[in-house]
Amino acid sequence: MRYDETEIIVRFQEVDEWGIAWHGHYIGWFEVGRMELLRKFDLLPRQFSAMGYIAPVVNLKCDFKEPALSGDHLLIRTSIVKPDKAALTFCFEIYRKEDQKLLARGETTQVLMTTDGKLLYYIPNEIKDKIDTMIQYLNQP
Amino acid sequence: MRVEEIINDRDALNLFLKELIIRTLKLEGITPQDIEDDAPLFKEGLGLDSLDALELVVALEKNFKITIPDEHVGKEAFASINALVNYVQRESKNTLNL
Repeated sequence: MRYDETEIIVRFQEVDEWGIAWHGHYIGWFEVGRMELLRKFDLLPRQFSAMGYIAPVVNLKCDFKEPALSGDHLLIRTSIVKPDKAALTFCFEIYRKEDQKLLARGETTQVLMTTDGKLLYYIPNEIKDKIDTMIQYLNQP
Repeated sequence: MRVEEIINDRDALNLFLKELIIRTLKLEGITPQDIEDDAPLFKEGLGLDSLDALELVVALEKNFKITIPDEHVGKEAFASINALVNYVQRESKNTLNL
């Protein structure tokens, strides 16, 4: 599957006293990639809420391969797994732009709930249609 | 046994559902005998979570062509194995013309 790509620069305050990016920031960078992808399909959190739904993260994985350093230009590559149940799984890879090294790979899974807290067992059509369009976009040659 | 025969045989359905849960959720080290018929499947019972519920909804649809439309119904259906047996038997009468 193809991916949506977002570029960021590691900021001074994101590195620890050893000079490498603190591990928790990778999760924030995943979020940057996911938001950019969601923005293209009108699925940002406030748009979810306007439809009466929220999508809390219930699972998160991250493998760290190489450290990111302050000032590195990073490429966040985001894709989505075709849903086989009422949950959305996004996949992420973070590369350093300069040498194209893979720094981290991970995924998040979100369930869908109504804004009053009820778990959805099926993806509502209005969301499913947008996800299908997103998958078509990511599958373009 | 055909699926219609399993549904009509409460003991067979009980075992089938326990095996389905173990297989679908990849519950390692759990046997059908470990799952109590009246214990809750979620939280304090088998300890299943929201993603497990969504997996089971899909597995039940595939195996019995029945749907669990929402969490309200799910709370009844997933209350225990006995509750799930009742739900599958009741709903299958409509979908499989038993």
